[in-house]
Amino acid sequence: MDILILVIIGLLAGPLLGGLIAGMDRRVTAWFQSRQGPPIMQPFYDVAKLFGKEKMVVNQWQILCAWVYVIAAAISLALFFAQSDLLLIFFVQAVGAVFLVMGAMAAKSPYSQVGAQRELMQILAYEPVLVMVCVGFYMVTGSFSLGAVWQQDMPLLAKMPLLYLALGYALTIKLRKSPFDFSTSHHGHQELVKGVLTEYSGPYLGLIEIAHWYETVLVLGLCALFWHTNVIWMALLLIVTYMLEILVDNTMARMTWRWMLKRVWLVGMGMCVVNLIWLYAR
Amino acid sequence: MSNLLLLLILMPAVAALVCYFVRSSAVRKLTVVAAGVILMAASLGLLGQGAFEPIAVGSVLGISSDFLVTVLDFALLGVILFYGIKHKSVLIQVFTLAQAALLVWFEVVMVEHAAVPALVGDQLSLIMVLVISIIGSLICIFAIPYMDKHEEHLHLKKSRQPQFFFYLLLFLGAMNGLVLSNNILWMYFFFEVTTFCSFVLIGHDATEIATKNSVRALWMNSLGGLAFVIGMMLAYMKTGTLDISAILAAGPQGALMVTGIGFICLAGFTKAAQIPFQSWLLGAMVAPTPVSALLHSSTMVKAGVFVLLRFAPAYVGTFLSTGVAICGAFTFVACAALCIGQSNGKKILAYSTISNLGLIICCAGINTPLALTAAVMLIIFHAISKSLLFLCVGTIEQAIGSRDIEDMRGLYAKFPRTATITIIGILTMILPPFGVLMGKWMAMEAGADTNIIIVVMLAMGSALTVVYWARWGGSLMSSRKEGAPAEQQAVLTRLPLTVLCVGAVVLSCAAPWIYNSMLAPMFKVAPFTVSFGSLNSATGSFAVVPLFIALGLGVLFAAKSAFGFRKARIMPPYLSGANSTEDGTYVGPMNGDVPFSAGNMYLGELFAEGKLTPIFNVLAIGLIVLMLGGAL
Repeated sequence: MDILILVIIGLLAGPLLGGLIAGMDRRVTAWFQSRQGPPIMQPFYDVAKLFGKEKMVVNQWQILCAWVYVIAAAISLALFFAQSDLLLIFFVQAVGAVFLVMGAMAAKSPYSQVGAQRELMQILAYEPVLVMVCVGFYMVTGSFSLGAVWQQDMPLLAKMPLLYLALGYALTIKLRKSPFDFSTSHHGHQELVKGVLTEYSGPYLGLIEIAHWYETVLVLGLCALFWHTNVIWMALLLIVTYMLEILVDNTMARMTWRWMLKRVWLVGMGMCVVNLIWLYAR
Repeated sequence: MSNLLLLLILMPAVAALVCYFVRSSAVRKLTVVAAGVILMAASLGLLGQGAFEPIAVGSVLGISSDFLVTVLDFALLGVILFYGIKHKSVLIQVFTLAQAALLVWFEVVMVEHAAVPALVGDQLSLIMVLVISIIGSLICIFAIPYMDKHEEHLHLKKSRQPQFFFYLLLFLGAMNGLVLSNNILWMYFFFEVTTFCSFVLIGHDATEIATKNSVRALWMNSLGGLAFVIGMMLAYMKTGTLDISAILAAGPQGALMVTGIGFICLAGFTKAAQIPFQSWLLGAMVAPTPVSALLHSSTMVKAGVFVLLRFAPAYVGTFLSTGVAICGAFTFVACAALCIGQSNGKKILAYSTISNLGLIICCAGINTPLALTAAVMLIIFHAISKSLLFLCVGTIEQAIGSRDIEDMRGLYAKFPRTATITIIGILTMILPPFGVLMGKWMAMEAGADTNIIIVVMLAMGSALTVVYWARWGGSLMSSRKEGAPAEQQAVLTRLPLTVLCVGAVVLSCAAPWIYNSMLAPMFKVAPFTVSFGSLNSATGSFAVVPLFIALGLGVLFAAKSAFGFRKARIMPPYLSGANSTEDGTYVGPMNGDVPFSAGNMYLGELFAEGKLTPIFNVLAIGLIVLMLGGAL
């Protein structure tokens, strides 16, 4: 019964929190750029408007893929709230990521095709890091189940600081922030129009936006677990992390996938390995 | 019991002889289908009777069956030597003569010929028999219409199908014999039969390249055979018995015996085409598709991993075990990396097979109940999904005349059924809640306990795997014109495709029960408990059935909103210009249509096959030396 309630909380929290975070993100970004920025609720208005638009697609596969993307993202967050197996959550999240790519490849559009290929490169970059973070959790708590985290009396950050930094790479990629926003971007001014999302429109774009919110909350939730002992510190950790993300987004240029692969695999994985060696040595 | 065993091992051989000598196409087809059905029924019957203790086979026509196997052994070595001389391959000649010499020494001088029960059926054997008999038979049935088309395409004057089906069926019998052997000499004999069958089948088309590749397969596997003989002798020096059950029950017994087992593992490596032996399996794709499907999914390569799993209790907790795990993990990541650079569909399948076998071998090396469960799960589900994908590629190749995934782009437009089945097959390879991914999940959870090298390699390999599958699956999807003609498929093509596709999905859902009834009895302390359709271990849980229900309902709903009656308006894609009438083209310079074209990123500068293969080979040889040397 408890699990059911947690699942429902997760299913609701995803879009609500995700939308709010997106709204605040835009305000803070505007503040950095000396602008006023939209109201905090703007992302919700945007998605509501998208749902009111006419349904138009290049082919039916896109509808299928958009729906599966949002469903998989929602299930992975629900599993996260139900404190399920960390690796399982990660794999379910991958279902959504794969379907987003496949949907983009279904359209005969050069923009979404190139976007899909780049999205795959992003998956290639962040997946090993996420797996290593999962293994780090296992090494510290002795279990892949999230429930085991609560039995620790020290914040996990103390034992896996480098894994947290590496997770920052995955977070930046997942949030589609510069310098890693080359498959698609929150801003419609890149060389690929809207990259992997180019051919999605109307309600289906709305679904993808919601799926993106779910994923944002999932990765931020993973970050939050690094300071599970105290709610205030947890909030502070998240705020600092997100502020850094926005700062990086605003100060970095968009780079290429080669740069990303080398950077994430060498630096990100390097940090993971060093941190895991500490954990294995204990 | 013994009747069933007879059916499983000898009946395919008899059916093979019928196929070879009765040169009527109708009789052949009937024989193949009947043999397939009988094999499936017999394997299920064997499962129904459950595991059995080692049993003796006794004598045939007054000749002891052990003696018969010995005679056949030398006859087979003679035949292989003949082909070695015929194809002027020094390597084959050397390896075969060395095997024969050592075998004579072993049989005449070393072995005291005590009666050893020849066959045994534990859980592992029973599962392997099921995989071989059911999937192998489906592939044989698929081969019937395929070979007709294939020979039509080649304009052969005289059909070579009798020979083809002879070896195909013989192969299945030999595989069943291999997995049921309890006498190590019997196991060696069947091991050699599979080597020889694969050699003939790879070279079936008798083109220059086919012959070349089949010779390569033969010398590499002869090296494996030689390693097997050496390993057998070393192990015998210490244990003094040919009885595999007894060897396993005793566990690791010092350096000499473990080194012997190490050589047997090396034999398994060659058969499972682990790096640096991957080239024979890559070369094997010149054979007709059913052969590739058989080699890659249910037979040959599975014989390799079976040998490693069979002897797993004999090297548990030794350095050899860690070495095996590292070698396997290395092949897993290296072949996944090589796969990224490929656009040839069959080559992608080949590298992915080797990569997955690496994962299975890594699990065998990790050698905990959790890891061994992962290995068996991977064997079962990989066999189903991979055979399905091979048959799909074969069907696509006969339809479009190419096996390049760039040519398969937009396949759904013309061949919706084949494309959809292929997409499902691909998804069952990489996504939860399907069985292969579940096996990978178990492997990762088991690997997290071992050492960091294995963890890093598993993490990288897993990410690389997703990339090469996802882009293939995505590129098959496309628009389909309304009222386009339906796809035509022969019944005997459609049947195996549908059965395997449904099987891959349904059996994945039944995984908790498969685990409970077939895998859990393998261990004293079972790694998982099953509740509410979830597999729960001490360190994690995989909610198989709940996930199936949630994702299944989700996908059904998604499919209904996509393909249901309330249709969204179909629009041409955005092309930064005026769209022309043709889908995906726009009006370009001089009012001419600019056609759509796309290509995957193969990351040539990072994952070039030619550049990486030598490096990987050297690294892998180093790891194998490390593995064997460490066992001493």
